[in-house]
Amino acid sequence: MPHNTHLLRPALGGLTALALAVPTAATAQQWETRAGDRNWGLDISLILEGVYYNEMSRGISDPAGFDDGHDHGHDHGNGHDHGFDDGFNLGHSELVFEANLGDLFDGVLMIGFDEDHVEVEEAYLTTRALPGGFQVKAGKFLSDIGYINSRHVHDWDFVDRPLVNEYLFGDHGLQETGVQATWLAPTETYTQLGVELLQGETSGIANYEGSQSARNGQERILSDRSGPRLITAFAKFGPDLGPDHAAQFGISGGYARSFQKTDEHSTRFEDWDGSAWFAGLDAVYKYSSGRAYGHGDWRLQGEYFYREIDVDRRDVNFEADGNGPEGFVRNEQSFKNKQDGLYVQGVYGFAPRWEAGLRAEALGLTNDVGRGDGESFGTSYRQTAQVTFRPVEPVFLRAQLSQNDFVDEHGDRDRGLEFMLQLNVALGAHGAHRF
Amino acid sequence: MSFSKTRTRITRTLAAVASVAALTFILLPAQAAAGLNIVATTSSLGALAREIGGDEAEVRVLAPPDRDAHYLDARPSFMAALRRADMLLELGAGLEEGWLPAAQRGANNRAINSGQPGHFRAADKVELRRSITMDGPNMGHVHEEGNPHFNADPLRMAELALALGQRMGELRPDHAEAFVQRAEAAAERLREHAEKLAERVEPDQRIVVYHEDLDYLEEWLPVEIVGYLEPAPGIPPTARHLRSLVDDLEGTEGTVLYAEFQPPRGAEFLERNLGWPTHAVPLDPPADSGLDGYLELMRTWAQALPQR
Repeated sequence: MPHNTHLLRPALGGLTALALAVPTAATAQQWETRAGDRNWGLDISLILEGVYYNEMSRGISDPAGFDDGHDHGHDHGNGHDHGFDDGFNLGHSELVFEANLGDLFDGVLMIGFDEDHVEVEEAYLTTRALPGGFQVKAGKFLSDIGYINSRHVHDWDFVDRPLVNEYLFGDHGLQETGVQATWLAPTETYTQLGVELLQGETSGIANYEGSQSARNGQERILSDRSGPRLITAFAKFGPDLGPDHAAQFGISGGYARSFQKTDEHSTRFEDWDGSAWFAGLDAVYKYSSGRAYGHGDWRLQGEYFYREIDVDRRDVNFEADGNGPEGFVRNEQSFKNKQDGLYVQGVYGFAPRWEAGLRAEALGLTNDVGRGDGESFGTSYRQTAQVTFRPVEPVFLRAQLSQNDFVDEHGDRDRGLEFMLQLNVALGAHGAHRF
Repeated sequence: MSFSKTRTRITRTLAAVASVAALTFILLPAQAAAGLNIVATTSSLGALAREIGGDEAEVRVLAPPDRDAHYLDARPSFMAALRRADMLLELGAGLEEGWLPAAQRGANNRAINSGQPGHFRAADKVELRRSITMDGPNMGHVHEEGNPHFNADPLRMAELALALGQRMGELRPDHAEAFVQRAEAAAERLREHAEKLAERVEPDQRIVVYHEDLDYLEEWLPVEIVGYLEPAPGIPPTARHLRSLVDDLEGTEGTVLYAEFQPPRGAEFLERNLGWPTHAVPLDPPADSGLDGYLELMRTWAQALPQR
């Protein structure tokens, strides 16, 4: 699809020009810091998390049709899918720096770490001074598609990420480097439209391998493809429902002009090269009872996402085998994978400072994998219950029990039961919570 | 070629979108210039803005008076309101820290950014009382700039009215004179009313409050705060803390005041063990009120105490 390059380039160029030109124009107007405004400077916060994990019974580790392209960095080879060891884990901690440059830019750096890894999760600038309700964000950030994707671990109502977010996008959701532009309409109903031009590196939707070495004169089909390789768009609506109720509805989608994958089998590489797209819906409703410490409050949310991967496949021997010599090419085909998933969850404040939640998930309601002769796998499910206690504002303790009911590639089902206990503490200047 | 056609179409679409956007920039501020669209975080601030703004201002209050303004969500509807606002009026000093910065950021409206004339932070205009949290442990709400709950002090509200009238005048020079006059009249009424109410209260009243939110009553009524139901601001009352309060206050007289949205259990414990009367009072006037609503609120506070 070479023509996409032609469309993306000018669009990106235009956005960058807009991002650079408008704040400059804005500085030309007078802007001043009023004495006494103390909102300047650097805020630092530290979020520490500990997780006790117990796999009470082992089920199927990966839902059928979704093991491809899904790689857990901290999986110690025993196949469970949270990256947690049985027993005590340091969990996922974060160090957050936030600062601003007058009212022109906000800058955020978020460093995530666990026992073994340190990673820049987000590092971006957001404009504050564009006119007309526009805002541009540039850097590495969590995409604003859907609802939970842009939220960090300490903002979740459950210990782990919903399956649909993890398996359709990646272990960290859709987290990319690029540019985002949003526009907020001047309407009574909150209406936000946004587009993102992203580099395209997220395993589930825009996996990227780049050029692969030739074998015995046989060129591999994977070659370098310059970014941005992924474009997304989203719209969010939030009607004004008075002091007790609040809701937000979203629709989002994206197109990756490059989806590349390579698997090393015993004697051959299996290469995939093509494109992918996704679309989804999300909804959140919150009820505020007005009682103290969250007593009587409700939070309901749900998301649905559909993903299609459209690729050409070509296998090349790196070693002679029964099928042919080194460089031998076979299994050339084109196919599509069509998969989806959803979750719904509700959390209720059953006492002051105590809340309990339920989450129901389905992955692969449509689960057509085109590889080979093509197969349709069954749907995997998971049910989760949690109880959370917040003794003081910045601390919560959460107990969670999940039962996964995954299907394997042969259509067999097995249930696994997991228990988790999470302690999360926010230290320092903890930023304001988003809706 | 088919994609050169596609490109032309895309270019045209982009051009159309750009023209609409440009028109929006040009038209919207012009329309808004007529009146002053003000968004206030609490209804005490809203009451002042409404009184000063008269017919020249449209005021919307975000925090309902029966809710704790420390704990709100940065709702989409807040962002939509702030997107259209010419002025954001906040109490400041950390009170709205849990949600307002997110709502402000999500509003994509430069006019109300920190540092812009359209952003009015009330805490910058008056001198704040020291907050207990400035000396205490790093727990609960840390009001490091001072106690932000000065909406319970009509004298500071009077000072605020003058500053607010000034600022509203800067934003709408056409109405500046009217704003300043109404602000002066409001300040006058607040001071007179405070004096009158204070004279009717029996002198040397001792009160226990829930949070440090009613501390400012000391500034204009003959009262002294002798304890808090919370062990530290933002930390719920504990049994041990309540028992020690009872031990300290045993054999003395006084009144327990708490906000309507705060749990009554701590106050009831004191009532049982000390025999002190307890009153749940609002901290802010109704969401749509003007100055009269606030004057009525002052009367509610004063009449919760023994009268001469």
